Amino acid sequence: MTSLALTKPAIVPAPLQEAFDALDSNSFDASHLPQLQSLAVQIQHNLQFQHYWADLHVHTHSPLTNEPLPRPLVSGLPPQRIYIHPDEQVELLKEADRKRKANKAAGEGSGLQVKAEPEREWILPTRLNEKWTLRRLAEVFDAITFVPSPPGTSASTSDRPENPWRTTKRLLLGTIDSDSTVVYYIVHDGVVKPRQN
Amino acid sequence: MAPSAAPTQVKEPFPISRIANRYLLFSIDIISHCRRNHNICGMLIGTIPNLSQQNVFLGIPLELMPEEARVLVEKGAAYIVDDEEVHRKTFGEMSREERLKWLEEVDKRGEEVTRGTENLKEMRKEKALKEKGLRRELLEKRECSVSESVASDATVQVEANEVSALGLGFIMKGSSFTDDSSIASASTVETALFDPRPTSPSPSAVSSTPKPATTQKHFVTPTTSYPPLPTPALDSNAQLPAVPKSYPLFRYLHSLGYYHMPGLRFGCHYNSYPGDPLRYHSHFAATGLGWDDEFDLLDVVGGGRLATGTKKAYMIGGEDASVVKKKASANAGAGLFSDYSQESDVREVRAFSIEWAAL
Repeated sequence: MTSLALTKPAIVPAPLQEAFDALDSNSFDASHLPQLQSLAVQIQHNLQFQHYWADLHVHTHSPLTNEPLPRPLVSGLPPQRIYIHPDEQVELLKEADRKRKANKAAGEGSGLQVKAEPEREWILPTRLNEKWTLRRLAEVFDAITFVPSPPGTSASTSDRPENPWRTTKRLLLGTIDSDSTVVYYIVHDGVVKPRQN
Repeated sequence: MAPSAAPTQVKEPFPISRIANRYLLFSIDIISHCRRNHNICGMLIGTIPNLSQQNVFLGIPLELMPEEARVLVEKGAAYIVDDEEVHRKTFGEMSREERLKWLEEVDKRGEEVTRGTENLKEMRKEKALKEKGLRRELLEKRECSVSESVASDATVQVEANEVSALGLGFIMKGSSFTDDSSIASASTVETALFDPRPTSPSPSAVSSTPKPATTQKHFVTPTTSYPPLPTPALDSNAQLPAVPKSYPLFRYLHSLGYYHMPGLRFGCHYNSYPGDPLRYHSHFAATGLGWDDEFDLLDVVGGGRLATGTKKAYMIGGEDASVVKKKASANAGAGLFSDYSQESDVREVRAFSIEWAAL
């Protein structure tokens, strides 16, 4: 029956299904329930293909303690910056204004260009029908670093953020409904004033 | 706008009246003191009994949320007084002399108010006259002549002459009125015009106030009970205000200097402001939860989206009871469990700010 296996299947499985199959076949990790692992893969898939995130990883163990995380988390690099603290925004605008004036003096006309490099973010995958408590949310925050680094690399080197404005831990709460709609909310660990939208 | 009066010093701790399990402040001085020094706003709930209205034009008393009352009591800035009991007891014990003294005091205040309105009226009159290009002296002279017409014959003559020279001149133009008595009668006719009450040389006419007869007397209704009553004593047995589960988050945010308003308008427990709500926009729509209370993610999504849409952040927070216990035991046996007290990173109350990611 080798010839059958070699032929192209009549229906090509969806990329997400392929991702799930890959999860089943090789990197099965006993530390988490399969539905939580597939949840993380689903969020990862959504970020990769709908929002063009790069450098996505699924983390199963805490970079701080090496204990298993409450559930697998995703980390990745967004195409643009996801969150700019209002104070940082003020600084960036001032900087951009200074550059614009310098350009004008040099004879090159240019608009206000605010440059904010994208930063790696943690993503907490959740399902809409789940119930959460403050305790569990706090446990997740206690297990993560300020800025995620790819699994395997040592956490201590990048525990402190390069960006001086990133003073509280934050993650992206990705909530998925049964119709595969995903919504993302930024959650800060602490009292952080809102952005001036 | 008139400059506000210098704040009256409020002696702490001040009493908070508990009436039917509501925490009320009746003194305007204490209310402004709370807002200025303790970041406590409360809600003004005073209204006209037969024309109650749900708007911002409300007056004293100020109702405090139980959380606000609790924070003030825990800070040692205030204490709770069971107002009903205190009133029943102390007003029953009040002596007749004290009562009369207080009534006299209230009367005196009423007179002050009368004088105040009187002055205001004068000022307004003057302004209106000035706008119309009329001179004040004219009116003054008329009134003076009216009130003093009965004083003495000599003054009557002088005044009347002036009257004829100024205001009434046009009436008498052409006619050769030189008879004193007729002028005097003319001025009494004027009296009847301006003042319906017959002027008589009664002693009330010679009072220090310029026109006591024309104005109505004000009756002052006191808005506070202390005074007349002495400020009730601090009762150390009085129980703390009962607070909902969201209290730890309130206390935490208050300790960070935030002002709070009730959160009903945004479907949360508190609206937190970084400064006086009259000046600043709210930063957080905060919901307090127990440490192990389950919440729906749909609430987080709804709250987060609404808060971001109104330039705020949604906040959920609560108190970790185990950390509180650990800290308490660490403080009790300072030497034995010193490692806990050194862990400043361990937070009793944790808050999470949530914003829409725009993704």
